[in-house]
Amino acid sequence: MAELFRVGDRVRATRVDPPHHTRLPRYARGAVGTVTGLLGRHPLPDRSARGLAAEPEPVYAVSFAAGDLFGEGDHTVTIDLWESYLRPAAAESRAKGRSSE
Amino acid sequence: MARINDVGGMQGFPAVWQEQDEPPFHADWEAHVFAINSALIGRGVYNLDEFRDAVERIPAGEYLASSYYERWLRAITMLLAERGIVSEEDLADG
Amino acid sequence: MSADHAGPSQGPAARLRRLEGLLEQRGLIDAGQLDRALGAFLARASPANGARLVARAWLDDGFRQRLLADANAALPELGLSMGGGLQEQQLRVVQNTADSHNVIVCTLCSCYPLALLGPSPTWYKSEAYRSRVVRDPRSVLREFGFELDPRVAISVWDASAEARYMVLPRRPAGTDGLGEPELAALVTRNGLIGVAPV
Repeated sequence: MAELFRVGDRVRATRVDPPHHTRLPRYARGAVGTVTGLLGRHPLPDRSARGLAAEPEPVYAVSFAAGDLFGEGDHTVTIDLWESYLRPAAAESRAKGRSSE
Repeated sequence: MARINDVGGMQGFPAVWQEQDEPPFHADWEAHVFAINSALIGRGVYNLDEFRDAVERIPAGEYLASSYYERWLRAITMLLAERGIVSEEDLADG
Repeated sequence: MSADHAGPSQGPAARLRRLEGLLEQRGLIDAGQLDRALGAFLARASPANGARLVARAWLDDGFRQRLLADANAALPELGLSMGGGLQEQQLRVVQNTADSHNVIVCTLCSCYPLALLGPSPTWYKSEAYRSRVVRDPRSVLREFGFELDPRVAISVWDASAEARYMVLPRRPAGTDGLGEPELAALVTRNGLIGVAPV
Protein backbone atom coordinates (compact mmCIF):
# COMPACT_ATOMS: atom_id res chain seq x y z
CA MET A 1 0.00 0.00 0.00
CA ALA A 2 1.48 3.36 -1.00
CA GLU A 3 2.25 6.21 1.38
CA LEU A 4 -0.69 8.52 1.96
CA PHE A 5 1.51 11.58 2.27
CA ARG A 6 4.46 13.12 0.48
CA VAL A 7 7.10 15.59 1.58
CA GLY A 8 5.50 19.04 1.57
CA ASP A 9 1.99 17.85 2.46
CA ARG A 10 0.19 19.61 5.27
CA VAL A 11 -1.11 17.12 7.83
CA ARG A 12 -3.07 17.31 11.07
CA ALA A 13 -2.21 15.10 14.04
CA THR A 14 -5.24 13.26 15.35
CA ARG A 15 -7.01 14.60 18.43
CA VAL A 16 -7.59 11.09 19.72
CA ASP A 17 -6.32 10.49 23.27
CA PRO A 18 -6.13 6.71 23.44
CA PRO A 19 -6.31 4.64 26.66
CA HIS A 20 -3.17 2.77 25.65
CA HIS A 21 0.47 3.24 24.66
CA THR A 22 0.96 5.60 21.76
CA ARG A 23 3.81 7.63 20.26
CA LEU A 24 1.89 10.79 19.44
CA PRO A 25 2.91 13.29 22.15
CA ARG A 26 -0.06 15.11 23.67
CA TYR A 27 1.47 18.52 22.88
CA ALA A 28 1.00 17.78 19.14
CA ARG A 29 -2.57 16.49 19.23
CA GLY A 30 -4.74 18.33 16.74
CA ALA A 31 -1.85 20.44 15.43
CA VAL A 32 -1.15 21.00 11.73
CA GLY A 33 2.38 20.50 10.42
CA THR A 34 4.27 19.77 7.23
CA VAL A 35 5.71 16.43 6.17
CA THR A 36 9.46 16.98 5.82
CA GLY A 37 10.73 13.39 5.67
CA LEU A 38 9.76 9.80 4.91
CA LEU A 39 11.08 7.38 7.53
CA GLY A 40 10.31 3.92 6.22
CA ARG A 41 7.61 1.56 7.44
CA HIS A 42 7.25 0.23 10.94
CA PRO A 43 4.57 -1.61 12.92
CA LEU A 44 2.28 0.70 14.89
CA PRO A 45 3.50 0.62 18.51
CA ASP A 46 -0.04 1.25 19.81
CA ARG A 47 -0.80 -2.28 18.63
CA SER A 48 2.48 -4.11 19.27
CA ALA A 49 2.55 -2.76 22.84
CA ARG A 50 -0.66 -4.72 23.42
CA GLY A 51 0.57 -7.87 21.71
CA LEU A 52 -1.59 -7.21 18.65
CA ALA A 53 -0.40 -7.96 15.13
CA ALA A 54 0.71 -4.81 13.34
CA GLU A 55 1.59 -4.48 9.68
CA PRO A 56 4.39 -1.99 9.00
CA GLU A 57 2.97 1.38 8.01
CA PRO A 58 4.64 4.59 6.82
CA VAL A 59 6.28 6.88 9.37
CA TYR A 60 6.78 10.58 8.60
CA ALA A 61 8.91 13.37 9.99
CA VAL A 62 6.36 16.15 10.53
CA SER A 63 7.55 19.68 11.29
CA PHE A 64 5.40 22.01 13.38
CA ALA A 65 5.78 25.70 14.14
CA ALA A 66 6.11 26.21 17.91
CA GLY A 67 3.36 28.80 17.73
CA ASP A 68 0.95 26.17 16.40
CA LEU A 69 1.88 23.78 19.21
CA PHE A 70 2.15 26.11 22.21
CA GLY A 71 0.83 29.50 21.10
CA GLU A 72 4.34 30.94 21.45
CA GLY A 73 7.94 30.39 20.37
CA ASP A 74 9.81 30.97 17.12
CA HIS A 75 11.32 27.50 16.75
CA THR A 76 10.11 24.39 14.93
CA VAL A 77 9.55 20.97 16.41
CA THR A 78 9.81 17.92 14.16
CA ILE A 79 8.13 14.79 15.45
CA ASP A 80 8.31 11.34 13.84
CA LEU A 81 4.73 10.12 13.45
CA TRP A 82 3.06 6.96 12.20
CA GLU A 83 0.56 7.41 9.38
CA SER A 84 -2.27 6.30 11.69
CA TYR A 85 -1.72 9.46 13.73
CA LEU A 86 -2.20 11.77 10.75
CA ARG A 87 -5.00 13.16 8.55
CA PRO A 88 -4.65 15.38 5.52
CA ALA A 89 -4.95 19.04 6.51
CA ALA A 90 -5.74 20.23 3.01
CA ALA A 91 -9.14 18.47 3.02
CA GLU A 92 -9.99 20.20 6.28
CA SER A 93 -9.22 23.66 4.99
CA ARG A 94 -11.88 23.12 2.31
CA ALA A 95 -14.36 22.49 5.10
CA LYS A 96 -13.34 25.65 6.95
CA GLY A 97 -16.36 27.55 8.14
CA ARG A 98 -18.34 24.38 8.72
CA SER A 99 -16.04 22.95 11.41
CA SER A 100 -13.99 24.66 14.09
CA GLU A 101 -10.20 24.70 13.64
CA MET B 1 -5.36 8.76 28.29
CA ALA B 2 -2.12 10.72 28.20
CA ARG B 3 0.32 9.15 30.58
CA ILE B 4 2.89 10.41 33.04
CA ASN B 5 5.77 9.90 30.60
CA ASP B 6 4.23 12.32 28.07
CA VAL B 7 5.80 15.47 29.47
CA GLY B 8 6.63 17.52 26.35
CA GLY B 9 5.53 21.10 26.99
CA MET B 10 4.53 20.42 30.60
CA GLN B 11 5.38 22.98 33.28
CA GLY B 12 6.54 22.50 36.83
CA PHE B 13 9.84 20.70 36.38
CA PRO B 14 13.07 22.23 37.65
CA ALA B 15 16.04 23.60 35.72
CA VAL B 16 18.09 20.98 33.92
CA TRP B 17 20.91 19.74 36.15
CA GLN B 18 23.99 18.36 34.50
CA GLU B 19 26.35 15.98 36.28
CA GLN B 20 29.90 16.53 35.04
CA ASP B 21 31.80 13.56 33.61
CA GLU B 22 29.09 11.11 34.52
CA PRO B 23 29.79 7.41 33.98
CA PRO B 24 27.66 5.36 31.55
CA PHE B 25 26.01 3.69 34.56
CA HIS B 26 26.07 4.89 38.16
CA ALA B 27 25.98 1.43 39.70
CA ASP B 28 26.46 -2.18 38.62
CA TRP B 29 22.78 -2.90 39.14
CA GLU B 30 21.86 -0.23 36.56
CA ALA B 31 24.15 -1.82 33.97
CA HIS B 32 22.65 -5.21 34.74
CA VAL B 33 19.11 -3.90 34.38
CA PHE B 34 20.09 -2.52 30.97
CA ALA B 35 21.65 -5.82 29.93
CA ILE B 36 18.82 -7.98 31.23
CA ASN B 37 16.25 -5.89 29.38
CA SER B 38 18.14 -6.36 26.10
CA ALA B 39 18.44 -10.09 26.76
CA LEU B 40 14.75 -10.58 27.54
CA ILE B 41 13.65 -8.54 24.51
CA GLY B 42 16.16 -10.43 22.36
CA ARG B 43 14.64 -13.71 23.56
CA GLY B 44 11.13 -12.49 22.78
CA VAL B 45 9.87 -12.61 26.39
CA TYR B 46 8.38 -9.19 25.60
CA ASN B 47 8.98 -6.57 22.93
CA LEU B 48 10.30 -3.02 23.20
CA ASP B 49 6.85 -1.46 22.82
CA GLU B 50 5.49 -3.65 25.63
CA PHE B 51 8.45 -2.53 27.73
CA ARG B 52 7.78 1.17 27.12
CA ASP B 53 4.10 0.56 27.84
CA ALA B 54 5.00 -1.07 31.18
CA VAL B 55 7.18 1.91 32.18
CA GLU B 56 4.25 4.19 31.37
CA ARG B 57 1.90 2.09 33.49
CA ILE B 58 3.96 2.65 36.64
CA PRO B 59 1.66 4.70 38.92
CA ALA B 60 2.40 8.39 38.32
CA GLY B 61 3.66 9.20 41.83
CA GLU B 62 5.97 6.22 41.87
CA TYR B 63 7.17 7.01 38.34
CA LEU B 64 8.18 10.56 39.24
CA ALA B 65 9.86 9.48 42.49
CA SER B 66 11.93 6.78 40.80
CA SER B 67 15.24 7.08 39.01
CA TYR B 68 15.46 6.07 35.37
CA TYR B 69 16.75 2.55 35.94
CA GLU B 70 14.45 2.03 38.93
CA ARG B 71 11.62 2.54 36.43
CA TRP B 72 13.19 -0.01 34.12
CA LEU B 73 13.50 -2.57 36.93
CA ARG B 74 9.90 -1.92 37.95
CA ALA B 75 8.69 -2.35 34.35
CA ILE B 76 10.67 -5.56 33.83
CA THR B 77 9.33 -7.13 37.03
CA MET B 78 5.80 -5.99 36.08
CA LEU B 79 6.08 -7.67 32.67
CA LEU B 80 7.53 -10.86 34.12
CA ALA B 81 4.80 -11.03 36.77
CA GLU B 82 2.11 -10.51 34.11
CA ARG B 83 3.59 -13.40 32.14
CA GLY B 84 3.78 -15.64 35.21
CA ILE B 85 7.56 -15.92 34.95
CA VAL B 86 8.55 -14.25 38.20
CA SER B 87 6.19 -13.05 40.94
CA GLU B 88 6.45 -10.29 43.54
CA GLU B 89 6.70 -12.95 46.25
CA ASP B 90 9.70 -14.44 44.45
CA LEU B 91 11.42 -11.04 44.61
CA ALA B 92 10.46 -10.14 48.17
CA ASP B 93 13.16 -9.73 50.77
CA GLY B 94 14.02 -12.90 52.69
CA MET C 1 16.04 8.60 44.88
CA SER C 2 13.94 6.01 46.71
CA ALA C 3 16.89 3.60 46.87
CA ASP C 4 18.52 5.87 49.46
CA HIS C 5 15.86 4.98 52.00
CA ALA C 6 16.02 1.23 51.51
CA GLY C 7 18.27 -1.08 53.49
CA PRO C 8 20.88 -3.15 51.72
CA SER C 9 18.48 -6.09 51.35
CA GLN C 10 15.63 -4.02 49.94
CA GLY C 11 16.97 -1.49 47.46
CA PRO C 12 17.12 -1.94 43.72
CA ALA C 13 20.53 -3.62 43.83
CA ALA C 14 19.16 -6.38 46.05
CA ARG C 15 16.00 -6.78 43.99
CA LEU C 16 18.07 -6.96 40.84
CA ARG C 17 20.30 -9.67 42.36
CA ARG C 18 17.27 -11.75 43.26
CA LEU C 19 15.74 -11.20 39.83
CA GLU C 20 18.95 -12.18 38.10
CA GLY C 21 19.20 -15.34 40.18
CA LEU C 22 15.64 -16.36 39.35
CA LEU C 23 16.02 -15.61 35.63
CA GLU C 24 19.21 -17.66 35.50
CA GLN C 25 17.50 -20.54 37.27
CA ARG C 26 14.75 -20.43 34.67
CA GLY C 27 17.28 -20.39 31.85
CA LEU C 28 16.20 -16.99 30.57
CA ILE C 29 19.55 -15.31 31.04
CA ASP C 30 23.17 -16.32 31.40
CA ALA C 31 25.15 -14.04 33.70
CA GLY C 32 28.41 -14.56 31.85
CA GLN C 33 26.82 -13.80 28.50
CA LEU C 34 25.22 -10.70 29.97
CA ASP C 35 28.56 -9.38 31.20
CA ARG C 36 30.23 -10.05 27.86
CA ALA C 37 27.44 -8.33 25.93
CA LEU C 38 27.58 -5.33 28.26
CA GLY C 39 31.36 -5.08 27.94
CA ALA C 40 31.19 -5.32 24.17
CA PHE C 41 28.51 -2.64 23.98
CA LEU C 42 30.42 -0.16 26.17
CA ALA C 43 33.63 -0.82 24.23
CA ARG C 44 32.14 -0.13 20.81
CA ALA C 45 29.55 2.59 21.53
CA SER C 46 30.68 6.00 22.77
CA PRO C 47 30.55 9.72 21.94
CA ALA C 48 34.00 9.36 20.37
CA ASN C 49 32.27 7.67 17.42
CA GLY C 50 30.12 10.72 16.86
CA ALA C 51 33.14 12.98 17.18
CA ARG C 52 34.97 11.02 14.47
CA LEU C 53 32.02 11.32 12.11
CA VAL C 54 31.84 15.06 12.70
CA ALA C 55 35.58 15.57 12.15
CA ARG C 56 35.48 13.60 8.91
CA ALA C 57 32.44 15.59 7.74
CA TRP C 58 34.26 18.85 8.46
CA LEU C 59 37.25 17.79 6.38
CA ASP C 60 35.54 15.90 3.55
CA ASP C 61 32.54 17.57 1.95
CA GLY C 62 31.55 14.47 -0.04
CA PHE C 63 31.40 12.49 3.21
CA ARG C 64 29.40 15.25 4.86
CA GLN C 65 26.81 15.07 2.11
CA ARG C 66 26.65 11.28 2.28
CA LEU C 67 26.28 11.44 6.05
CA LEU C 68 23.37 13.86 5.76
CA ALA C 69 21.71 11.93 2.92
CA ASP C 70 21.97 8.42 4.40
CA ALA C 71 23.92 8.17 7.64
CA ASN C 72 23.50 4.38 7.96
CA ALA C 73 25.24 3.91 4.60
CA ALA C 74 28.01 6.40 5.45
CA LEU C 75 28.89 5.04 8.92
CA PRO C 76 30.76 1.95 7.61
CA GLU C 77 33.23 4.30 5.85
CA LEU C 78 34.63 4.87 9.37
CA GLY C 79 34.05 1.28 10.47
CA LEU C 80 30.99 2.33 12.45
CA SER C 81 27.41 1.12 12.45
CA MET C 82 24.06 1.47 14.17
CA GLY C 83 23.82 -2.31 14.39
CA GLY C 84 24.89 -4.60 17.21
CA GLY C 85 21.76 -3.93 19.21
CA LEU C 86 18.26 -5.32 19.09
CA GLN C 87 17.61 -3.90 15.65
CA GLU C 88 19.57 -1.53 13.43
CA GLN C 89 17.89 1.83 13.67
CA GLN C 90 17.90 4.62 11.14
CA LEU C 91 20.33 7.39 12.08
CA ARG C 92 19.49 10.91 10.90
CA VAL C 93 22.24 13.51 11.14
CA VAL C 94 21.07 17.12 11.22
CA GLN C 95 23.47 19.93 10.40
CA ASN C 96 23.92 23.20 12.27
CA THR C 97 24.46 26.21 10.01
CA ALA C 98 25.00 29.94 10.44
CA ASP C 99 21.21 30.38 10.40
CA SER C 100 19.92 27.29 12.13
CA HIS C 101 20.69 25.21 15.19
CA ASN C 102 19.41 21.73 15.99
CA VAL C 103 18.54 20.16 19.34
CA ILE C 104 17.53 16.54 19.96
CA VAL C 105 15.08 15.17 22.54
CA CYS C 106 12.78 12.24 23.14
CA THR C 107 9.89 13.74 25.09
CA LEU C 108 8.10 10.40 25.53
CA CYS C 109 10.99 8.40 27.00
CA SER C 110 14.70 8.79 26.17
CA CYS C 111 15.33 7.50 22.64
CA TYR C 112 18.93 8.18 21.66
CA PRO C 113 21.47 6.71 19.17
CA LEU C 114 22.78 4.27 21.84
CA ALA C 115 24.27 1.84 19.36
CA LEU C 116 26.62 4.56 18.13
CA LEU C 117 27.12 6.88 21.09
CA GLY C 118 26.59 4.63 24.12
CA PRO C 119 24.26 5.51 27.03
CA SER C 120 22.72 8.97 27.05
CA PRO C 121 23.46 11.43 29.86
CA THR C 122 21.07 11.39 32.82
CA TRP C 123 19.89 14.96 32.14
CA TYR C 124 18.73 13.90 28.63
CA LYS C 125 16.36 11.40 30.25
CA SER C 126 15.03 13.89 32.83
CA GLU C 127 11.53 15.35 32.93
CA ALA C 128 13.21 18.75 33.28
CA TYR C 129 14.85 18.46 29.84
CA ARG C 130 12.13 16.53 28.05
CA SER C 131 9.33 18.86 29.15
CA ARG C 132 11.03 22.16 28.43
CA VAL C 133 13.28 21.84 25.41
CA VAL C 134 10.33 21.46 23.00
CA ARG C 135 8.62 24.51 24.46
CA ASP C 136 11.53 26.88 25.24
CA PRO C 137 14.74 25.52 23.71
CA ARG C 138 16.58 28.84 24.03
CA SER C 139 16.17 28.87 27.82
CA VAL C 140 17.31 25.28 28.09
CA LEU C 141 20.41 26.07 26.03
CA ARG C 142 21.06 29.01 28.36
CA GLU C 143 20.98 26.61 31.31
CA PHE C 144 23.82 24.77 29.60
CA GLY C 145 25.72 28.05 29.36
CA PHE C 146 25.01 28.33 25.64
CA GLU C 147 23.65 31.72 24.59
CA LEU C 148 22.53 31.20 21.01
CA ASP C 149 22.45 34.26 18.73
CA PRO C 150 18.77 35.33 18.57
CA ARG C 151 18.97 35.47 14.77
CA VAL C 152 19.69 31.74 14.61
CA ALA C 153 16.55 29.61 14.21
CA ILE C 154 16.16 26.51 16.37
CA SER C 155 14.88 23.16 15.13
CA VAL C 156 13.96 20.69 17.85
CA TRP C 157 13.76 17.01 16.86
CA ASP C 158 11.54 14.77 18.98
CA ALA C 159 12.71 11.20 18.32
CA SER C 160 9.29 9.66 18.78
CA ALA C 161 9.56 6.74 16.33
CA GLU C 162 12.35 4.48 15.07
CA ALA C 163 14.86 7.04 13.78
CA ARG C 164 17.63 8.27 16.08
CA TYR C 165 19.15 11.71 15.73
CA MET C 166 22.61 13.25 15.99
CA VAL C 167 23.66 16.85 15.44
CA LEU C 168 26.51 17.80 13.11
CA PRO C 169 27.88 20.91 14.87
CA ARG C 170 29.53 23.78 13.02
CA ARG C 171 33.27 23.63 12.75
CA PRO C 172 34.70 26.19 15.19
CA ALA C 173 36.61 29.15 13.80
CA GLY C 174 40.41 29.06 14.01
CA THR C 175 40.69 25.31 13.41
CA ASP C 176 42.23 25.39 9.95
CA GLY C 177 45.20 23.08 9.74
CA LEU C 178 43.99 20.78 12.52
CA GLY C 179 44.01 17.10 11.62
CA GLU C 180 41.08 14.74 12.00
CA PRO C 181 41.94 13.49 15.53
CA GLU C 182 42.45 17.07 16.79
CA LEU C 183 39.13 18.13 15.30
CA ALA C 184 37.37 15.10 16.79
CA ALA C 185 38.75 16.04 20.22
CA LEU C 186 36.83 19.33 20.00
CA VAL C 187 33.45 17.60 19.66
CA THR C 188 31.51 16.95 22.86
CA ARG C 189 28.53 14.70 23.58
CA ASN C 190 26.53 17.81 24.39
CA GLY C 191 27.40 19.18 20.94
CA LEU C 192 26.08 15.99 19.31
CA ILE C 193 22.77 16.48 21.16
CA GLY C 194 22.67 20.19 20.42
CA VAL C 195 22.93 21.78 23.89
CA ALA C 196 26.46 23.03 23.14
CA PRO C 197 27.88 24.71 20.04
CA VAL C 198 30.29 21.82 19.47
